[in-house]
Formats: sequence, structure tokens, C-alpha cells
Amino acid sequence: MNLDVRSLRTFSRLAHSGAEKAAGSLTTLAGIDTYVNVTKVELGTKTDVEQEFAERDLVSVHIGFSGGLDGRTVLAFSPESAERLVDALMPGMDGAETGSELATSSLKEVANIMLGGFIDGWADYLDTTVDITTPTYVDDDSNSPLENLESDGFEHESDNEHILVFRNQLEAADDAIEFDLYMVPSPDSIKTITDASGQHGALPVQSFAAFSDMIADGADQASADITAMTGIDTTVEVSRMSFVPIEGVPMSLTDSVRRGVVLEFFGTPSGYIAILFDEPSADNIASSLLPGMEGDEAMRQSAIQEIGNIVTSGFLDGWANTLGTTIDISPPKHVHDIGSAIVDPLATELAQSQEYAFLIDSTIRTDDDEFTCDIYALPNEEELRKALEQLSPAV
Amino acid sequence: MQVYTTDTTSTHSARIKVGIADYAFGTDGNTLTTSGLGSCIGVALYDAEAGVSGLAHAMLPEADPDGDPAKFADTGIEALLAEMRDAGADTSRIIAKLAGGSAMFDFDSSDGGKSIGERNVEAARKTLEKHDIDIVAEDVGGSHGRSLELDGKTGDLRVRSAKTGDQTL
Repeated sequence: MNLDVRSLRTFSRLAHSGAEKAAGSLTTLAGIDTYVNVTKVELGTKTDVEQEFAERDLVSVHIGFSGGLDGRTVLAFSPESAERLVDALMPGMDGAETGSELATSSLKEVANIMLGGFIDGWADYLDTTVDITTPTYVDDDSNSPLENLESDGFEHESDNEHILVFRNQLEAADDAIEFDLYMVPSPDSIKTITDASGQHGALPVQSFAAFSDMIADGADQASADITAMTGIDTTVEVSRMSFVPIEGVPMSLTDSVRRGVVLEFFGTPSGYIAILFDEPSADNIASSLLPGMEGDEAMRQSAIQEIGNIVTSGFLDGWANTLGTTIDISPPKHVHDIGSAIVDPLATELAQSQEYAFLIDSTIRTDDDEFTCDIYALPNEEELRKALEQLSPAV
Repeated sequence: MQVYTTDTTSTHSARIKVGIADYAFGTDGNTLTTSGLGSCIGVALYDAEAGVSGLAHAMLPEADPDGDPAKFADTGIEALLAEMRDAGADTSRIIAKLAGGSAMFDFDSSDGGKSIGERNVEAARKTLEKHDIDIVAEDVGGSHGRSLELDGKTGDLRVRSAKTGDQTL
């Protein structure tokens, strides 16, 4: 399986327009205004996706598709969002609690209409026909929400093999209902779509996978360094690379206030990094680095900057080794502002020369969620391509 | 074949969310919101008599011919004005309010000169001036982020900032 930036753009557009269709169907069906927030093309493993479902306690409805394209689409909700959606579809109905037969069948109906519309867009583009299966409901207790993926045309050697996941974040009813629309095409189908968009300098998917592994190693190192420095026992929750329209980068963050650092890195690739903490986590960092001291604002800022430096070098040092290059980093700049507004200027700098971005995001947290640290890295697209070429297996 | 469509106009909801590189208008006293303005520029347009309000959130100052018009201040404002006129607004009655365009970081990689934020504000002013639209209030520049809420009933633009607090323009 080979991938290039041009086919990733095609994928992203198709997924976005499919998601707009799906959102439109829900608006028409239920009169609930539904928006597509961000469309991401993610490279991950089946295990990554299942882990995310488990961590977020997602309930989901699955529909398989086959014919000109094979794979699976999934509409996933938090239990709260599922409940609100059912309530909006059937206001005042009793017996519509999450998991009840009534609630389940109305979620299946929504999924049927939305996912059907989504898949139609892809079939139109490829000028082919696609059949869809009846929807299956999977509750949040499921240990392997993607089980039986093999029946959708996957021939996987292992659960750690990389798959492309198209993820669309949707919001309805003034943000009260949030859900994700996933599409996981089979490897053969990815080839079908890639061929349709024409290949120009495609890179083997192994290069992307190797880069993705390198990011995961960097996140592990950053997590270990935070633990060593603060004594707070952290682990990496997610670490992934996705391909998004550039405006989707700030839109991936909310407008809640974050504290952290922003810096630039120079080399192959160069780019920007933001390391952001929610306010309680930033307070935790400051007090663990300055034990027993009240700490004025200037001291808190320098504590955050110090941890920013540590996280950045933990995160990036491995890149230079793997890519056989040097990557220099600028001094960290302290930020304390609306999360999406912090990342906006970074995306805007890149927007001058590229329409899409590879967004690397990792979350490091404690098991109890009391401490979370999000790392967002935005490499320059052209330079990342060069870096990926370095990772291409020798021919 | 068009594979990328952005349905930017939805006038039947009380609240309309405007994304980044996006614009929307309302005719029913809707509230238009947008968040995450750093160097981006927010342009609120209002025709009180026609009851038409519009909000644009642009990333960059001047259009690239191949780009999505909503991404740029000049073409974004033009496109929003055209849709507002179609909905009954009259350019001669429209007033404008600007917010955003801050310079949050002094990047080493940006080659000196004016920040993107400043250039975004300039491009918005220039485009509005071309249509003789008065900028009646503004909160631009600085080094902080903003979120906006335009009240379509009154034309009030509420600007939220984590640093300087909230204000109404």
C-alpha cells in the first residue's frame, strides 16, 4: 500500500463531503442542526482505535460495506451524547435509556441514514456501487469493538498492522451532542481509491508507519521525563499522526483556557510545537517543581517553561536519531490563553504555503485524569515528506 | 465533479457556529459564534434595518486564486457581503466591527516585517473601505486570543479573552 499527499487530499475531501452529507441527513431527518467540525485521516492500528473506544466508553453503530469498496463505517457516541440524541429524536419518550431496545433501534436508524449517505459519496466518486449491511449496535462494554473486521475485507497479519482511519468529528444541537463518524476501508480499497486519484511520488505506507512509531517512542520518552522530573506517574494515552485541512488544526482544540509553551523546531523537518496543560495540571506541575513554595506568576511561568523544554527534548530527540539529522529547538515561549487561539497562529504560519497539515498529537496523563498534557506538533509538509523518504525501506 | 462542499449558511438555528476559514449569516436575529482567533481576523457585519447579520473568520490576508475564498480576509468579506445582499441587506447600511489579528508569538522563521495578524487587519480594512463600509468598533492586535459572539438582534459583538476579560463592541 502506497500513499502520497495528493491522494491524502482526495481522501480528506471525500471524507469531509461525505460527512457533510451525513450531517445534512440528520438535520433533515430530525431537525437537529448538525455540523462537521474536523475531518482527519489517521494512520493507526486496530488496537489504537479499540483502545480509544474503551477509554472514551464509546457506544457505536457499525455498518459494513462491500462491492466497489470494502470496509466498515462506524458512528460512535459517548453514552451521554447517545442519550441526548435519542431524546432529541423522540422527545419525552419513556424507556429510551441508553441500551434499551428503543434507544438502540433509533440510533441504528440514524446510523443507517447518516452512514448510507456517507458511503454514497465515495461510491459516486469511484463510479462504482457499494452495498451496505444492516447496522449492528456495539455497547460500551465491548472489549473489541472492531471485532470481525476480517469479514469486511481485511486480511491482517496482526492487530498491529497499520490501517487508515477516516474520522469526522460532528456536533449537533449547539454542541450538546458530539459524535465521531469513522470509516475504515480495507487495504485493497485504499489501493482502489489511491489509484483513482493518481499516484505522484507515493511513499510506501511503511514509511508513515515508521514515522508513527517514532512519534509514539517520542511520546513515551516525554512521559518518562515528566515522571522523572515531577514524580507524577504518567502514561501516554494517545499518540497519532493525522492529515487534516490546515484550518482543522485549531478546530481540533476547544476554547477552554490552557497554559503551556510554544516553540519552533528547525531541521528536517522544521515546524512548530505546542505543549499545553489544562489549568489544574499546570498548577500541579508548578507545585511539584516548586514544592512548599507559593510561587508567584513569574516562578510558575519558569516552571512551565522548564517542563516544556524537558517534554520537547524527550519528544523530539528520538526523531533526529531515527531520521539521521539534527533538529534544533527555539527557546520555549510561555502561553496562557484560549486553547484553539494558541494553536491558530502556528497553523496560520504554515497555511501560507500549504493547504493541509500533518498534525501529530499526543496526550500524556495520569490514570486518574488529574494531570493531562497535550503535545501538538506541526511539521512543514514538504520537509516531512523528505523525512518520510528517509524512512522508506530500501528498494 | 465537486467533492468538497462547505455548507456555510444555515439560517434556521438560533445559534450558528462559524468555523475557521468560514463565514455565515443569519436573518432571524441568530447569534453567530466563532472561537480560536489568534492571528486570524473576525469580521462582523450588520444591517439593522434588514435584520441581516454576518460573521467571517479568515486565516490569511489576501486570496490565493486556488484557495477557498472563506480562508482569506479579502475574498471572505466579499463572499459574505454577496450572500448578505442576496438575503436583503444593503451595503450602504451595513456597519462592520473587527476583532482578532493578534501577534501572539514572534516566530524566528517569519522574516521580520509585519505579522500575519497585522496584515489580516489591514486586508479587512481595505476590503471594507472599498465598499464604503464603516468600521464602528474594533478590538484588534495585542498578543492574546479571542472568541466572538455576534448578537443578530442588536449587532452587539461580544469579545471574550482569557487575558483582558470580556467586552462588548
